[in-house]
Amino acid sequence: MNERVVICRCEDITEEEVLDAIRDGAISMEELKRVLRVGMGPCQGRTCGSLIRALLARELGVPVHSIKEWSRRPPLKPVPAGAFFQGEES
Amino acid sequence: MSTVTCEVAVIGAGIIGTATAHYLSARGVDVVVIDRSYMGSGSTGRCIGGLRHQFSTPPSIRLMKESIRLFSEMEEEFGHSVEFSQGGYLLLAHSDEMAATFRANIRVQRAEGINVSLLDPKEAHDLVPQLNTEGLVAGAWCPDDGQAFPFAVLKGYRKRTENAGGRFILHNPVVNFRRNANFELFLGDGSIVEAPRVLLAAGPWTRELAKPLGIDLPLAPERHEAMITERMPRFLKPMLVDYRPDGCYFQQMLTGQVIGCYTPVPAVPGIREDVSFEFLPQVAWRMSRLVPALRNAAILRHWAGCYTMTPDGNPVLDRTPLDGLFVASGMCGHGFMFGPAMGHHMADFILDGEWGMDFSEFALDRDFSPGAETLK
Ligand SMILES: Cc1cc2nc3c(=O)[nH]c(=O)nc-3n(C[C@H](O)[C@H](O)[C@H](O)COP(=O)(O)OP(=O)(O)OC[C@H]3O[C@@H](n4cnc5c(N)ncnc54)[C@H](O)[C@@H]3O)c2cc1C
Ligand code: FES
Repeated sequence: MNERVVICRCEDITEEEVLDAIRDGAISMEELKRVLRVGMGPCQGRTCGSLIRALLARELGVPVHSIKEWSRRPPLKPVPAGAFFQGEES
Repeated sequence: MSTVTCEVAVIGAGIIGTATAHYLSARGVDVVVIDRSYMGSGSTGRCIGGLRHQFSTPPSIRLMKESIRLFSEMEEEFGHSVEFSQGGYLLLAHSDEMAATFRANIRVQRAEGINVSLLDPKEAHDLVPQLNTEGLVAGAWCPDDGQAFPFAVLKGYRKRTENAGGRFILHNPVVNFRRNANFELFLGDGSIVEAPRVLLAAGPWTRELAKPLGIDLPLAPERHEAMITERMPRFLKPMLVDYRPDGCYFQQMLTGQVIGCYTPVPAVPGIREDVSFEFLPQVAWRMSRLVPALRNAAILRHWAGCYTMTPDGNPVLDRTPLDGLFVASGMCGHGFMFGPAMGHHMADFILDGEWGMDFSEFALDRDFSPGAETLK
Protein backbone atom coordinates (compact mmCIF):
# COMPACT_ATOMS: atom_id res chain seq x y z
CA MET A 1 0.00 0.00 0.00
CA ASN A 2 1.35 3.36 -1.03
CA GLU A 3 0.81 6.18 1.39
CA ARG A 4 0.61 9.63 -0.14
CA VAL A 5 3.48 11.53 1.45
CA VAL A 6 3.15 15.27 0.89
CA ILE A 7 6.54 16.96 0.82
CA CYS A 8 5.46 20.50 -0.15
CA ARG A 9 2.31 21.39 1.73
CA CYS A 10 1.70 24.76 0.17
CA GLU A 11 1.61 23.31 -3.33
CA ASP A 12 0.39 19.83 -2.36
CA ILE A 13 3.24 17.95 -4.05
CA THR A 14 4.13 14.44 -2.92
CA GLU A 15 7.51 12.86 -2.33
CA GLU A 16 6.69 10.46 -5.17
CA GLU A 17 6.25 13.33 -7.62
CA VAL A 18 9.63 14.73 -6.61
CA LEU A 19 11.24 11.28 -7.01
CA ASP A 20 9.63 10.96 -10.45
CA ALA A 21 11.11 14.25 -11.57
CA ILE A 22 14.55 13.18 -10.33
CA ARG A 23 14.20 9.91 -12.25
CA ASP A 24 13.31 12.00 -15.31
CA GLY A 25 16.71 13.63 -14.98
CA ALA A 26 16.28 16.62 -12.66
CA ILE A 27 19.60 17.48 -11.04
CA SER A 28 18.93 20.82 -9.35
CA MET A 29 16.59 22.45 -6.85
CA GLU A 30 15.83 25.16 -9.39
CA GLU A 31 14.60 22.62 -11.92
CA LEU A 32 12.41 20.81 -9.36
CA LYS A 33 10.87 24.09 -8.35
CA ARG A 34 10.08 25.23 -11.87
CA VAL A 35 8.78 21.89 -13.11
CA LEU A 36 6.79 20.83 -10.03
CA ARG A 37 6.14 24.20 -8.40
CA VAL A 38 7.49 22.89 -5.10
CA GLY A 39 8.71 25.77 -2.98
CA MET A 40 6.46 28.20 -4.80
CA GLY A 41 3.80 28.46 -2.11
CA PRO A 42 3.23 31.26 0.39
CA CYS A 43 6.02 29.95 2.65
CA GLN A 44 8.41 30.28 -0.32
CA GLY A 45 9.94 26.91 0.38
CA ARG A 46 10.90 27.59 3.98
CA THR A 47 9.01 24.48 5.03
CA CYS A 48 9.85 22.08 2.23
CA GLY A 49 13.22 23.35 0.98
CA SER A 50 15.49 21.37 3.27
CA LEU A 51 13.42 18.18 2.91
CA ILE A 52 13.57 18.33 -0.86
CA ARG A 53 17.24 19.20 -0.84
CA ALA A 54 17.99 16.16 1.30
CA LEU A 55 15.90 13.95 -0.96
CA LEU A 56 17.68 15.20 -4.08
CA ALA A 57 21.10 14.69 -2.47
CA ARG A 58 20.18 11.14 -1.44
CA GLU A 59 18.90 10.23 -4.90
CA LEU A 60 21.91 11.72 -6.68
CA GLY A 61 24.28 10.19 -4.12
CA VAL A 62 25.97 13.48 -3.31
CA PRO A 63 26.45 15.43 -0.04
CA VAL A 64 23.59 17.80 0.81
CA HIS A 65 25.83 20.88 0.94
CA SER A 66 26.85 20.33 -2.68
CA ILE A 67 23.27 21.03 -3.76
CA LYS A 68 22.55 24.67 -4.36
CA GLU A 69 19.57 25.97 -2.38
CA TRP A 70 16.74 27.92 -3.95
CA SER A 71 17.68 31.44 -4.85
CA ARG A 72 15.61 34.04 -3.04
CA ARG A 73 13.83 36.19 -5.57
CA PRO A 74 12.21 39.44 -4.63
CA PRO A 75 9.81 39.97 -2.93
CA LEU A 76 11.07 37.85 -0.05
CA LYS A 77 7.67 37.74 1.59
CA PRO A 78 4.34 38.02 -0.22
CA VAL A 79 3.51 41.73 -0.52
CA PRO A 80 0.06 43.07 -1.43
CA ALA A 81 0.16 44.69 -4.86
CA GLY A 82 -1.20 47.94 -3.43
CA ALA A 83 1.78 48.34 -1.11
CA PHE A 84 4.08 48.86 -4.09
CA PHE A 85 2.51 52.10 -5.19
CA GLN A 86 0.83 53.55 -2.10
CA GLY A 87 0.65 57.33 -2.21
CA GLU A 88 2.03 57.43 -5.75
CA GLU A 89 -1.17 57.19 -7.73
CA SER A 90 -1.19 59.31 -10.82
CA MET B 1 34.67 10.12 -26.81
CA SER B 2 31.22 8.89 -27.76
CA THR B 3 29.36 9.67 -30.97
CA VAL B 4 25.60 9.50 -31.29
CA THR B 5 24.12 9.36 -34.78
CA CYS B 6 20.55 10.17 -35.72
CA GLU B 7 18.48 11.37 -38.67
CA VAL B 8 17.50 14.75 -37.23
CA ALA B 9 19.20 16.58 -34.34
CA VAL B 10 17.12 19.28 -32.64
CA ILE B 11 18.98 21.92 -30.64
CA GLY B 12 16.79 23.29 -27.86
CA ALA B 13 14.24 21.57 -25.62
CA GLY B 14 11.75 24.41 -25.41
CA ILE B 15 8.26 24.16 -26.82
CA ILE B 16 9.41 24.43 -30.45
CA GLY B 17 12.15 21.80 -30.23
CA THR B 18 10.13 19.26 -28.24
CA ALA B 19 6.97 19.66 -30.34
CA THR B 20 8.93 19.24 -33.58
CA ALA B 21 10.75 16.21 -32.15
CA HIS B 22 7.43 14.66 -31.23
CA TYR B 23 6.04 15.03 -34.74
CA LEU B 24 9.30 13.81 -36.31
CA SER B 25 9.38 10.71 -34.13
CA ALA B 26 5.69 10.08 -34.82
CA ARG B 27 6.68 9.73 -38.48
CA GLY B 28 9.30 7.15 -37.57
CA VAL B 29 12.31 9.46 -37.69
CA ASP B 30 15.25 8.83 -35.37
CA VAL B 31 15.51 12.16 -33.52
CA VAL B 32 17.81 13.47 -30.79
CA VAL B 33 16.95 16.62 -28.80
CA ILE B 34 19.80 18.43 -27.11
CA ASP B 35 19.54 21.08 -24.42
CA ARG B 36 22.22 22.74 -22.41
CA SER B 37 20.05 22.68 -19.32
CA TYR B 38 16.68 21.19 -18.40
CA MET B 39 13.60 21.19 -20.65
CA GLY B 40 11.88 24.56 -20.49
CA SER B 41 14.87 26.30 -18.90
CA GLY B 42 14.82 28.93 -21.68
CA SER B 43 11.84 31.08 -22.56
CA THR B 44 9.24 28.32 -22.42
CA GLY B 45 9.44 27.77 -18.66
CA ARG B 46 9.26 31.52 -18.06
CA CYS B 47 6.16 32.27 -20.09
CA ILE B 48 2.71 32.83 -18.67
CA GLY B 49 0.98 30.14 -20.70
CA GLY B 50 -1.59 32.16 -22.66
CA LEU B 51 -3.16 30.83 -25.88
CA ARG B 52 -5.18 32.97 -28.28
CA HIS B 53 -6.77 32.87 -31.73
CA GLN B 54 -6.78 36.65 -31.95
CA PHE B 55 -4.07 37.46 -34.49
CA SER B 56 -4.30 39.71 -37.52
CA THR B 57 -3.34 37.56 -40.53
CA PRO B 58 -4.94 34.33 -41.81
CA PRO B 59 -1.76 32.17 -41.56
CA SER B 60 -1.27 33.03 -37.87
CA ILE B 61 -4.97 32.59 -37.13
CA ARG B 62 -5.04 29.18 -38.87
CA LEU B 63 -1.96 28.04 -37.01
CA MET B 64 -3.53 29.08 -33.71
CA LYS B 65 -6.74 27.26 -34.55
CA GLU B 66 -4.72 24.12 -35.07
CA SER B 67 -2.57 24.71 -31.96
CA ILE B 68 -5.51 25.24 -29.63
CA ARG B 69 -7.14 22.08 -30.96
CA LEU B 70 -3.85 20.24 -30.28
CA PHE B 71 -3.67 21.67 -26.74
CA SER B 72 -7.23 20.47 -26.15
CA GLU B 73 -6.25 16.91 -27.14
CA MET B 74 -3.09 16.72 -25.03
CA GLU B 75 -4.56 15.37 -21.83
CA GLU B 76 -5.84 12.35 -23.68
CA GLU B 77 -2.72 11.97 -25.78
CA PHE B 78 -0.22 12.38 -22.93
CA GLY B 79 -2.16 10.69 -20.16
CA HIS B 80 -1.73 13.68 -17.85
CA SER B 81 -3.32 17.09 -17.52
CA VAL B 82 -1.61 20.08 -19.14
CA GLU B 83 -3.94 22.41 -17.22
CA PHE B 84 -5.58 23.47 -20.45
CA SER B 85 -8.64 25.66 -20.08
CA GLN B 86 -10.54 28.08 -22.27
CA GLY B 87 -11.39 31.14 -20.21
CA GLY B 88 -11.08 33.45 -23.21
CA TYR B 89 -8.97 36.53 -23.96
CA LEU B 90 -10.41 40.00 -23.57
CA LEU B 91 -8.27 42.54 -25.42
CA LEU B 92 -8.83 46.14 -24.33
CA ALA B 93 -8.61 49.28 -26.48
CA HIS B 94 -8.39 52.66 -24.77
CA SER B 95 -8.08 54.63 -28.02
CA ASP B 96 -10.12 54.90 -31.21
CA GLU B 97 -7.11 53.75 -33.26
CA MET B 98 -6.75 50.54 -31.28
CA ALA B 99 -10.50 49.94 -31.47
CA ALA B 100 -10.28 50.33 -35.26
CA THR B 101 -7.45 47.78 -35.31
CA PHE B 102 -9.64 45.38 -33.30
CA ARG B 103 -12.51 45.89 -35.75
CA ALA B 104 -10.31 45.19 -38.78
CA ASN B 105 -8.83 42.09 -37.13
CA ILE B 106 -12.22 40.76 -36.09
CA ARG B 107 -13.33 40.80 -39.73
CA VAL B 108 -10.31 38.69 -40.69
CA GLN B 109 -10.73 36.38 -37.68
CA ARG B 110 -14.43 35.84 -38.32
CA ALA B 111 -13.73 35.00 -41.95
CA GLU B 112 -11.47 32.26 -40.54
CA GLY B 113 -14.31 30.95 -38.42
CA ILE B 114 -13.15 32.34 -35.07
CA ASN B 115 -15.82 33.14 -32.51
CA VAL B 116 -14.79 36.70 -31.66
CA SER B 117 -16.76 39.86 -31.05
CA LEU B 118 -16.31 43.54 -30.34
CA LEU B 119 -17.64 44.58 -26.93
CA ASP B 120 -18.57 48.05 -25.78
CA PRO B 121 -17.41 49.05 -22.27
CA LYS B 122 -20.67 47.97 -20.67
CA GLU B 123 -20.51 44.53 -22.26
CA ALA B 124 -16.88 44.21 -21.19
CA HIS B 125 -17.93 45.10 -17.64
CA ASP B 126 -20.74 42.55 -17.71
CA LEU B 127 -18.22 39.93 -18.74
CA VAL B 128 -15.64 40.91 -16.10
CA PRO B 129 -17.49 42.73 -13.29
CA GLN B 130 -14.17 43.56 -11.54
CA LEU B 131 -12.98 45.53 -14.58
CA ASN B 132 -12.46 49.28 -14.25
CA THR B 133 -13.78 50.55 -17.60
CA GLU B 134 -12.60 54.14 -17.22
CA GLY B 135 -11.24 55.32 -20.56
CA LEU B 136 -12.15 52.05 -22.23
CA VAL B 137 -13.28 52.37 -25.85
CA ALA B 138 -13.84 48.75 -26.84
CA GLY B 139 -12.93 45.16 -26.09
CA ALA B 140 -12.23 42.21 -28.40
CA TRP B 141 -13.51 39.01 -26.90
CA CYS B 142 -12.85 35.41 -27.89
CA PRO B 143 -14.18 32.82 -25.44
CA ASP B 144 -12.17 30.01 -27.07
CA ASP B 145 -8.76 31.44 -26.14
CA GLY B 146 -7.16 30.05 -23.02
CA GLN B 147 -4.13 28.79 -21.14
CA ALA B 148 -1.96 25.73 -20.43
CA PHE B 149 1.00 24.85 -18.17
CA PRO B 150 4.26 24.80 -20.16
CA PHE B 151 6.17 22.17 -18.17
CA ALA B 152 3.28 19.69 -18.43
CA VAL B 153 3.25 20.17 -22.20
CA LEU B 154 7.03 19.63 -22.49
CA LYS B 155 6.83 16.54 -20.33
CA GLY B 156 4.14 15.08 -22.60
CA TYR B 157 6.12 15.75 -25.77
CA ARG B 158 9.19 14.16 -24.26
CA LYS B 159 7.28 11.08 -23.18
CA ARG B 160 5.71 10.66 -26.63
CA THR B 161 9.03 11.23 -28.39
CA GLU B 162 10.87 8.74 -26.20
CA ASN B 163 8.12 6.16 -26.62
CA ALA B 164 8.61 6.45 -30.36
CA GLY B 165 12.36 5.87 -29.99
CA GLY B 166 13.59 9.49 -29.82
CA ARG B 167 16.31 10.53 -27.38
CA PHE B 168 16.92 13.56 -25.16
CA ILE B 169 20.39 14.73 -24.17
CA LEU B 170 19.91 17.31 -21.41
CA HIS B 171 22.32 19.40 -19.33
CA ASN B 172 24.80 19.28 -22.18
CA PRO B 173 25.28 22.32 -24.47
CA VAL B 174 26.18 22.29 -28.15
CA VAL B 175 29.44 24.21 -27.99
CA ASN B 176 30.42 24.05 -31.62
CA PHE B 177 29.33 22.55 -34.86
CA ARG B 178 30.71 21.71 -38.21
CA ARG B 179 29.45 20.52 -41.54
CA ASN B 180 31.21 17.59 -43.22
CA ALA B 181 29.23 14.87 -44.95
CA ASN B 182 26.89 15.26 -41.99
CA PHE B 183 26.57 17.89 -39.30
CA GLU B 184 28.76 17.22 -36.30
CA LEU B 185 27.57 18.81 -33.08
CA PHE B 186 30.20 19.00 -30.35
CA LEU B 187 28.69 18.86 -26.87
CA GLY B 188 29.98 20.22 -23.59
CA ASP B 189 30.94 16.80 -22.23
CA GLY B 190 33.11 16.04 -25.28
CA SER B 191 30.61 13.79 -27.03
CA ILE B 192 29.46 14.30 -30.62
CA VAL B 193 26.04 14.11 -32.24
CA GLU B 194 26.09 13.41 -35.96
CA ALA B 195 23.09 14.01 -38.19
CA PRO B 196 22.36 14.87 -41.82
CA ARG B 197 19.68 17.35 -40.70
CA VAL B 198 19.67 19.82 -37.82
CA LEU B 199 16.93 22.09 -36.49
CA LEU B 200 17.98 25.22 -34.62
CA ALA B 201 15.26 25.74 -32.02
CA ALA B 202 17.40 27.43 -29.41
CA GLY B 203 15.04 30.38 -28.82
CA PRO B 204 16.98 33.56 -27.99
CA TRP B 205 20.32 31.75 -28.43
CA THR B 206 19.61 30.73 -32.04
CA ARG B 207 21.32 33.69 -33.66
CA GLU B 208 24.59 33.12 -31.78
CA LEU B 209 24.46 29.43 -32.58
CA ALA B 210 24.14 30.03 -36.34
CA LYS B 211 26.83 32.71 -36.57
CA PRO B 212 29.88 30.41 -36.74
CA LEU B 213 28.27 28.80 -39.78
CA GLY B 214 28.20 32.14 -41.55
CA ILE B 215 24.44 32.54 -41.19
CA ASP B 216 23.10 35.76 -39.71
CA LEU B 217 19.49 35.44 -38.60
CA PRO B 218 17.35 38.55 -37.98
CA LEU B 219 16.64 37.67 -34.34
CA ALA B 220 16.74 40.15 -31.47
CA PRO B 221 16.09 38.86 -27.94
CA GLU B 222 14.50 41.25 -25.42
CA ARG B 223 13.95 40.90 -21.73
CA HIS B 224 10.39 40.42 -20.48
CA GLU B 225 9.57 40.25 -16.79
CA ALA B 226 6.65 38.52 -15.13
CA MET B 227 5.14 38.07 -11.68
CA ILE B 228 2.81 35.71 -9.87
CA THR B 229 0.54 36.21 -6.88
CA GLU B 230 -0.62 33.87 -4.16
CA ARG B 231 -3.52 31.61 -4.89
CA MET B 232 -6.88 33.30 -4.64
CA PRO B 233 -10.41 31.99 -5.10
CA ARG B 234 -11.15 32.00 -8.83
CA PHE B 235 -12.67 35.35 -9.78
CA LEU B 236 -11.16 36.15 -13.18
CA LYS B 237 -11.81 33.90 -16.14
CA PRO B 238 -10.27 35.56 -19.20
CA MET B 239 -6.78 36.79 -19.86
CA LEU B 240 -6.94 40.60 -19.90
CA VAL B 241 -4.66 42.43 -22.33
CA ASP B 242 -4.45 46.18 -21.86
CA TYR B 243 -2.96 47.64 -25.07
CA ARG B 244 -2.14 51.08 -23.65
CA PRO B 245 1.60 51.94 -23.84
CA ASP B 246 1.61 51.56 -20.06
CA GLY B 247 -0.72 48.55 -20.15
CA CYS B 248 -0.15 44.98 -19.03
CA TYR B 249 -1.60 41.51 -19.46
CA PHE B 250 -2.55 38.93 -16.89
CA GLN B 251 -4.79 36.01 -16.12
CA GLN B 252 -5.75 33.82 -13.24
CA MET B 253 -4.46 30.28 -13.48
CA LEU B 254 -6.72 27.30 -12.86
CA THR B 255 -4.82 26.88 -9.60
CA GLY B 256 -5.81 30.41 -8.48
CA GLN B 257 -2.61 32.44 -8.90
CA VAL B 258 -2.71 35.59 -11.02
CA ILE B 259 0.21 35.61 -13.43
CA GLY B 260 1.10 38.67 -15.48
CA CYS B 261 3.57 40.86 -17.32
CA TYR B 262 3.92 44.05 -19.30
CA THR B 263 5.91 45.01 -22.36
CA PRO B 264 8.55 47.58 -21.37
CA VAL B 265 8.86 50.77 -23.40
CA PRO B 266 11.54 51.17 -24.61
CA ALA B 267 12.46 47.52 -25.05
CA VAL B 268 15.31 46.03 -23.01
CA PRO B 269 17.53 44.29 -25.57
CA GLY B 270 19.73 41.28 -24.94
CA ILE B 271 19.52 37.80 -23.49
CA ARG B 272 18.84 38.69 -19.88
CA GLU B 273 17.30 36.87 -16.99
CA ASP B 274 17.99 39.49 -14.31
CA VAL B 275 15.06 41.48 -12.92
CA SER B 276 14.54 45.23 -12.58
CA PHE B 277 13.51 47.31 -9.57
CA GLU B 278 10.79 49.15 -11.42
CA PHE B 279 8.88 46.10 -12.58
CA LEU B 280 6.96 45.19 -9.42
CA PRO B 281 5.69 48.69 -8.57
CA GLN B 282 4.76 49.19 -12.21
CA VAL B 283 2.98 45.90 -12.76
CA ALA B 284 1.18 46.19 -9.42
CA TRP B 285 -0.08 49.66 -10.33
CA ARG B 286 -1.04 48.73 -13.90
CA MET B 287 -2.95 45.61 -12.88
CA SER B 288 -4.72 47.33 -10.00
CA ARG B 289 -5.72 50.19 -12.28
CA LEU B 290 -7.54 47.70 -14.49
CA VAL B 291 -8.86 45.40 -11.76
CA PRO B 292 -8.85 47.38 -8.49
CA ALA B 293 -9.49 44.24 -6.41
CA LEU B 294 -5.95 43.15 -7.26
CA ARG B 295 -4.57 45.78 -4.86
CA ASN B 296 -4.95 43.20 -2.15
CA ALA B 297 -3.38 40.33 -4.07
CA ALA B 298 -0.10 39.23 -2.50
CA ILE B 299 2.72 39.10 -5.04
CA LEU B 300 4.88 36.04 -4.48
CA ARG B 301 7.59 36.02 -7.11
CA HIS B 302 9.07 37.92 -10.01
CA TRP B 303 11.32 36.65 -12.80
CA ALA B 304 12.48 37.45 -16.30
CA GLY B 305 12.87 35.67 -19.62
CA CYS B 306 13.19 36.51 -23.28
CA TYR B 307 11.00 37.38 -26.18
CA THR B 308 12.95 36.63 -29.35
CA MET B 309 11.86 39.41 -31.72
CA THR B 310 12.12 39.82 -35.49
CA PRO B 311 11.84 43.14 -37.37
CA ASP B 312 8.24 42.46 -38.52
CA GLY B 313 6.89 40.69 -35.45
CA ASN B 314 6.53 37.29 -37.14
CA PRO B 315 8.53 34.11 -36.40
CA VAL B 316 11.18 32.61 -38.67
CA LEU B 317 10.58 28.99 -39.74
CA ASP B 318 12.52 27.87 -42.78
CA ARG B 319 15.49 26.07 -44.22
CA THR B 320 18.73 28.03 -44.19
CA PRO B 321 21.16 28.53 -47.06
CA LEU B 322 23.11 25.61 -45.60
CA ASP B 323 21.62 22.38 -46.92
CA GLY B 324 20.10 20.29 -44.12
CA LEU B 325 20.07 23.14 -41.58
CA PHE B 326 16.65 24.43 -40.48
CA VAL B 327 15.60 27.21 -38.16
CA ALA B 328 12.52 27.80 -35.99
CA SER B 329 12.87 30.83 -33.75
CA GLY B 330 11.89 34.50 -33.46
CA MET B 331 8.59 33.66 -31.80
CA CYS B 332 8.06 37.31 -30.76
CA GLY B 333 6.43 36.38 -27.47
CA HIS B 334 3.96 33.84 -28.88
CA GLY B 335 6.03 30.70 -29.15
CA PHE B 336 4.26 28.71 -26.50
CA MET B 337 0.86 29.02 -28.16
CA PHE B 338 2.22 28.56 -31.70
CA GLY B 339 4.45 25.67 -30.62
CA PRO B 340 2.23 22.61 -31.17
CA ALA B 341 1.10 23.60 -34.69
CA MET B 342 4.50 24.93 -35.67
CA GLY B 343 6.18 21.75 -34.43
CA HIS B 344 3.79 19.73 -36.55
CA HIS B 345 4.39 21.75 -39.73
CA MET B 346 8.13 22.09 -39.11
CA ALA B 347 8.49 18.30 -38.84
CA ASP B 348 6.64 17.83 -42.13
CA PHE B 349 8.74 20.53 -43.80
CA ILE B 350 12.00 18.92 -42.65
CA LEU B 351 10.87 15.58 -44.06
CA ASP B 352 8.91 16.59 -47.17
CA GLY B 353 10.64 19.82 -48.18
CA GLU B 354 7.39 21.72 -48.50
CA TRP B 355 4.89 23.39 -46.20
CA GLY B 356 1.43 21.93 -45.68
CA MET B 357 -0.01 25.47 -45.57
CA ASP B 358 0.99 29.05 -46.39
CA PHE B 359 4.18 29.73 -44.41
CA SER B 360 5.45 32.59 -46.58
CA GLU B 361 5.07 35.12 -43.77
CA PHE B 362 7.59 33.09 -41.74
CA ALA B 363 10.11 32.68 -44.59
CA LEU B 364 13.72 33.67 -44.05
CA ASP B 365 13.92 35.57 -47.35
CA ARG B 366 10.77 37.65 -46.80
CA ASP B 367 10.58 41.41 -46.61
CA PHE B 368 11.01 42.09 -42.89
CA SER B 369 9.53 45.62 -42.93
CA PRO B 370 7.61 46.18 -39.70
CA GLY B 371 3.85 46.11 -39.45
CA ALA B 372 2.44 42.70 -40.33
CA GLU B 373 1.18 41.63 -36.91
CA THR B 374 -0.84 44.34 -35.16
CA LEU B 375 -1.71 42.37 -32.01
CA LYS B 376 1.66 42.20 -30.30
C1 LIG C 1 7.51 36.70 -19.37
C2 LIG C 1 7.12 35.96 -20.62
C3 LIG C 1 5.77 35.69 -20.89
C4 LIG C 1 5.37 35.00 -22.04
N1 LIG C 1 4.06 34.70 -22.23
C5 LIG C 1 3.68 33.96 -23.30
C6 LIG C 1 2.33 33.54 -23.46
O1 LIG C 1 1.48 33.85 -22.64
N2 LIG C 1 2.02 32.79 -24.54
C7 LIG C 1 2.95 32.42 -25.47
O2 LIG C 1 2.62 31.75 -26.43
N3 LIG C 1 4.25 32.80 -25.33
C8 LIG C 1 4.64 33.55 -24.27
N4 LIG C 1 5.95 33.91 -24.12
C9 LIG C 1 6.90 33.58 -25.20
C10 LIG C 1 7.35 32.14 -25.14
O3 LIG C 1 7.88 31.86 -23.86
C11 LIG C 1 8.42 31.88 -26.20
O4 LIG C 1 8.03 32.40 -27.46
C12 LIG C 1 8.65 30.39 -26.39
O5 LIG C 1 8.84 29.77 -25.14
C13 LIG C 1 9.84 30.14 -27.28
O6 LIG C 1 10.12 28.76 -27.28
P1 LIG C 1 11.39 28.19 -27.99
O7 LIG C 1 11.26 26.72 -27.96
O8 LIG C 1 11.55 28.86 -29.31
O9 LIG C 1 12.63 28.71 -27.13
P2 LIG C 1 13.15 28.38 -25.65
O10 LIG C 1 12.05 27.94 -24.76
O11 LIG C 1 13.95 29.54 -25.22
O12 LIG C 1 14.06 27.11 -25.86
C14 LIG C 1 15.37 27.19 -26.36
C15 LIG C 1 16.20 26.13 -25.66
O13 LIG C 1 17.47 26.05 -26.30
C16 LIG C 1 18.42 25.73 -25.35
N5 LIG C 1 19.75 26.10 -25.85
C17 LIG C 1 20.22 27.35 -26.10
N6 LIG C 1 21.48 27.30 -26.54
C18 LIG C 1 21.82 25.98 -26.57
C19 LIG C 1 23.02 25.29 -26.90
N7 LIG C 1 24.10 25.94 -27.33
N8 LIG C 1 23.03 23.94 -26.79
C20 LIG C 1 21.93 23.27 -26.36
N9 LIG C 1 20.79 23.88 -26.02
C21 LIG C 1 20.74 25.22 -26.12
C22 LIG C 1 18.01 26.52 -24.13
O14 LIG C 1 18.54 25.96 -22.94
C23 LIG C 1 16.48 26.45 -24.21
O15 LIG C 1 15.95 25.44 -23.38
C24 LIG C 1 6.37 34.59 -22.97
C25 LIG C 1 7.72 34.84 -22.71
C26 LIG C 1 8.10 35.52 -21.55
C27 LIG C 1 9.55 35.75 -21.28
S1 FES D 1 5.76 23.91 1.77
FE1 FES D 1 6.64 24.07 -0.16
S2 FES D 1 6.33 26.17 -0.60
FE2 FES D 1 5.52 26.01 1.36
